[in-house]
Amino acid sequence: MKSPLAWYIAGPLIGLIVPLLLILKEKQFGISSSYRYLGSKLFKKVNYFNYKSESDAWQFQFAIGLILAGLIIPQLIDVEAITSLEANTSYGLIFEKIYSSSNILFFFIGGLFVGFGSRYANGCTAGHCIMGISQFSVSSIVSTVCFFIGGLFVSYIVIPFLF
Amino acid sequence: MKFILTLILGFAFGTVLLATQAFSWFRIQQMFRFESFHMYGVLFSAIATAAISLIIIKKFKVKSINGNPIEVTPKKLDLKANIIGGLLFGIGWGLTGACSAPLYILIGLHYKIGIALFLGAMVGVYLFGIFDSRKKNL
Repeated sequence: MKSPLAWYIAGPLIGLIVPLLLILKEKQFGISSSYRYLGSKLFKKVNYFNYKSESDAWQFQFAIGLILAGLIIPQLIDVEAITSLEANTSYGLIFEKIYSSSNILFFFIGGLFVGFGSRYANGCTAGHCIMGISQFSVSSIVSTVCFFIGGLFVSYIVIPFLF
Repeated sequence: MKFILTLILGFAFGTVLLATQAFSWFRIQQMFRFESFHMYGVLFSAIATAAISLIIIKKFKVKSINGNPIEVTPKKLDLKANIIGGLLFGIGWGLTGACSAPLYILIGLHYKIGIALFLGAMVGVYLFGIFDSRKKNL
């Protein structure tokens, strides 16, 4: 597979997860509460994790499905292919080795931000950007704008500085 | 059985993210540098589909599989948390190219990197838990 699944097919399929979860599970789409759910099993002494975590248990089960997809689907299709034209960018060259073991610490630190930020903002791309904006929720619009400001800052300033 | 259904939904969602490369560090950099419409197309059409679905559910009073009315509540506005948390999350997203779903996908795809990311996220959540608990005690 040279190019990714077209956005006009993938986007609507992604959007359909919202009504599917509401109808089948009576749940609003979100993923980052799975961290809090896991925290409720691991960090019982911290107040934040003492909550009715069972209502978020499904997010953990959903996450296991994601891990399995990450294991199986790449055996069937080349999910990391980019065209030679695309690779011919500064970050295209970085991409060739970004997932190598030497970047473990880099990803760990990035993960700190993902974990802390998503829980502070009370949601991530799933809960705010997709579920929240589709309800025209102000908190989700504000959060998504800030996700992008953070991402733009890193892509233009931090990544070129680091690599 | 409920567990299997959720797992299948997660697997299907992950399959779409993989096929469209939305988990990929490269695609996220491309998005933040405005060099491709791809990720914007994915996000906008996903939001549009979700929004239309919610309107249909509301208008036709669609019920859940258990026969309950479907209610949707927007997340509460907390400007400080949404802004600071949002900026921090955005930094993490830009650095790793992974938000929460791709983070799990990477555990399956590149397990060393994925596990490092996951452990980072769990430490981040733990730190937030301490921060949040203190904030409430003040």
